[in-house]
Amino acid sequence: MDSRDELAARLDACQKCNVCTAQCPVAKVNPHFIGPKGLGPDRERFRMGQIIQGETALDDCSNCKTCEMTCPSGVKITRMILEARRAASKASHQNTLSLKLRLRGYVLGRAEYLGKLGVICPTMMNHVLKIKFMRLVLDKALAINESASLPLYGKSLEVQVDKGSRIGTSACKQVVYFPGCFTRYNEADTGRIMIKVLEHIGYKTIVPNFHCCGLPLEANGQFEKAHKNGLYNLELMRPYLEAGTPIITSCTSCGLMLKEDYPRLQTTSALLVGAQSYDLFEFLWQLYERGELPLDFQEVKASYGYHPPCHLKAQGIGIPALRILRLIPGVKIRNLDAGCCGLAGSYGFKAEKYDKAMKIGRTLFEAITVGAGRGDYQGMTTECGACKVQIQHGTGLSTEHPVRILAKAYRLMMDER
Amino acid sequence: MNEMWDAVVVGGGLAGWIAGIRAAQRDKKVLLVTEGVGTLFYFSGIFDYGDVVRLRHLPKHPYTLFKAQEITQGQRFVQEICPEYVMKDTPQFAFTVLGTVRQGDLMPRSMVLPDQQEQGEFVILVPEGLKDFFPKIVAANMAREFPGWQVNEKRMKVGTLSEWTQLGKSVTSIDYASIWRSEEGQRALTLEIDQLKREYREAGRSSNKLVVVLPSLVREYFDSSRSKPYKNEFSLPILEMSSFVPSPHGRYFAEYLKHMFTDLGGELMMGARAAAINGKARSGSQTKVCQELVVNSMGKPLHLKSKKFILATGGFLGGGIKVGMARKSIREEVFDLPLFVPEKWSEPQFFAPQPFAQIGVETDALMRPLDPVCGQVIWDNVHVVGRMLAHWDPWTQRCGGGVSVTSGYAAAELI
Repeated sequence: MDSRDELAARLDACQKCNVCTAQCPVAKVNPHFIGPKGLGPDRERFRMGQIIQGETALDDCSNCKTCEMTCPSGVKITRMILEARRAASKASHQNTLSLKLRLRGYVLGRAEYLGKLGVICPTMMNHVLKIKFMRLVLDKALAINESASLPLYGKSLEVQVDKGSRIGTSACKQVVYFPGCFTRYNEADTGRIMIKVLEHIGYKTIVPNFHCCGLPLEANGQFEKAHKNGLYNLELMRPYLEAGTPIITSCTSCGLMLKEDYPRLQTTSALLVGAQSYDLFEFLWQLYERGELPLDFQEVKASYGYHPPCHLKAQGIGIPALRILRLIPGVKIRNLDAGCCGLAGSYGFKAEKYDKAMKIGRTLFEAITVGAGRGDYQGMTTECGACKVQIQHGTGLSTEHPVRILAKAYRLMMDER
Repeated sequence: MNEMWDAVVVGGGLAGWIAGIRAAQRDKKVLLVTEGVGTLFYFSGIFDYGDVVRLRHLPKHPYTLFKAQEITQGQRFVQEICPEYVMKDTPQFAFTVLGTVRQGDLMPRSMVLPDQQEQGEFVILVPEGLKDFFPKIVAANMAREFPGWQVNEKRMKVGTLSEWTQLGKSVTSIDYASIWRSEEGQRALTLEIDQLKREYREAGRSSNKLVVVLPSLVREYFDSSRSKPYKNEFSLPILEMSSFVPSPHGRYFAEYLKHMFTDLGGELMMGARAAAINGKARSGSQTKVCQELVVNSMGKPLHLKSKKFILATGGFLGGGIKVGMARKSIREEVFDLPLFVPEKWSEPQFFAPQPFAQIGVETDALMRPLDPVCGQVIWDNVHVVGRMLAHWDPWTQRCGGGVSVTSGYAAAELI
């Protein structure tokens, strides 16, 4: 990291211009929230890497990274806030959270274990989670808002380990897929479709038995577990990273973790993971640039509204999904880019945050509804599972992962409409 | 290997966006790369062109790079993008957030001040808890600028913000601007203005000389493809004011331009800082051709190939020019271009024209960077626009918007 990056990551680079606060989705709807500049560079002068006694507003930040992306000086504001949360969680004697909320953090952070539980009998689980009485119980016992739309479970994604041959010696090209908990437990079909698409393009997909990337854990204060998961996942990736195999994510939040947080872990694989992690469409675009992407598309006559997830924008790679999808004849995509959906992972499920999350998403919901009303599109598309859940909840419009559109173009999937 | 883009614009300020939008309008494949959200958040809503005729006689002023009609083209382009913008042959004026008067060349219709001679009455609507707004000072300034006019205040509340005001928290102009652009805010405003009109009638006073002034109101930059219909007429004329930063005009204008650009097919890469460039010299010439721009995206550098590059990194404020400690080093950050630097940087008087304002890149008539020693073009396919150009001062020459719009538009025409 050059010295300017180090400075920028620290609070000294902050010019106090307040653009971050003007863009912060949470500050817009929550008068108690002092905003990214306040919580980040301002308060950090008092924390200096430790804690401020009795600081409570840290959990109001949704970790969307809009502030970091829009800061003209490159200050790592969200990282600063997360580090403050980490320090606060370690100073457990200062912990002012009630037992209920600590339990909630434990549960919601473990999206992976909820997933493993949910897929044992997904139909029953989905049914149970829809029962009003159950949701009331969850609201009272764990402060999970009874109106929030929780993701459904399905048959989980199959793990596919590289059998037999030594890694890197296999004749065909291969990639490692990091599916993330949402794809693995809630929407495995998208993962299967992605694997078929990669196969069509000439790549074999290996799906190791990864743990959760750690983002939901960090967002819910479970830093130790997140750290352990990171090291575990990197260890699983090690032989592939050393062989130069790309690591593909289809969920933009997992992608963010792999690109931003994993390189900072203390292990040798960490040095490789940033450069070798790709969002699926980022990878496909690279192939296209090299003339290696098959363009044998059939026409797909469909119009979609596209929502860029906050964590995709934060990766600073533009929107490769749009570039690829616009190569398909017949496809029309409108990039709405109308702000944060508000769910922010599990943030919007929380009892005290649900209303705020819906307010945050209001501008996006309006843009989606206005566009649909004009007949610009009949459905939405976005890479992030959480955004998909929130958009469907807030607008009722069906939302699918962009890889499904690509699969239709490659004749790997029937058009459902 | 396919060239990815027809043009990569480096920098998301006014010049960068104008260049990007115009190039996208011309069906070019454009990528705009910017480290942060860009400097438009400081935009008052008013484009300053300055005394164009006089400035075109200053040696090496950026206006001398363009024909007079190119300058007018840029103005018409702004009016095409934002139909609410007006420009007259005679000077126009607007209220600043302090109630003082400032001239502006191209500005929203709703900011244009009425003729002083008309002897009317201003009513300042004071939104409760509005941050950095001082009604007494504003009223005093307005009264001084408009002798013979009456100036009154009327406080107003909005229901949605009761949570804020109950906490004793001040509300930023950006938050209020967003209220006025919502259904509830529009309803509240309509009621308030109708009530004002009624009060005057009941008191037996004429209301046809009344002009309402509302700080934080931004009625321009309406995007009908993303917002529900927006009420724009009230029963009394209503004036907007400029604002402190972050400015609501700037904030909504920035979003409007961004959507216009992406709707035209342009791609935006925000949060990626330009790190290096790769190019090669053309055979038999010292002039180089830039082939790719390397940017720092998360985790890895990205190599962006393009036919042309537009450098719109905004000088000192934009981060395009960096100065080291004790001014021992000064560098243009992307292409490492030679900079014009005056001998003496500053004048002792604070408001005197400051020589450092003139620092920038010298170019040929096509805005291509020049080597000051041999006068050769350094990069054949790179165009420098906006604040990065040398030999001008946006503050004392009052021409920031003019140079940015003109150079951005002209560069886009060259793609």
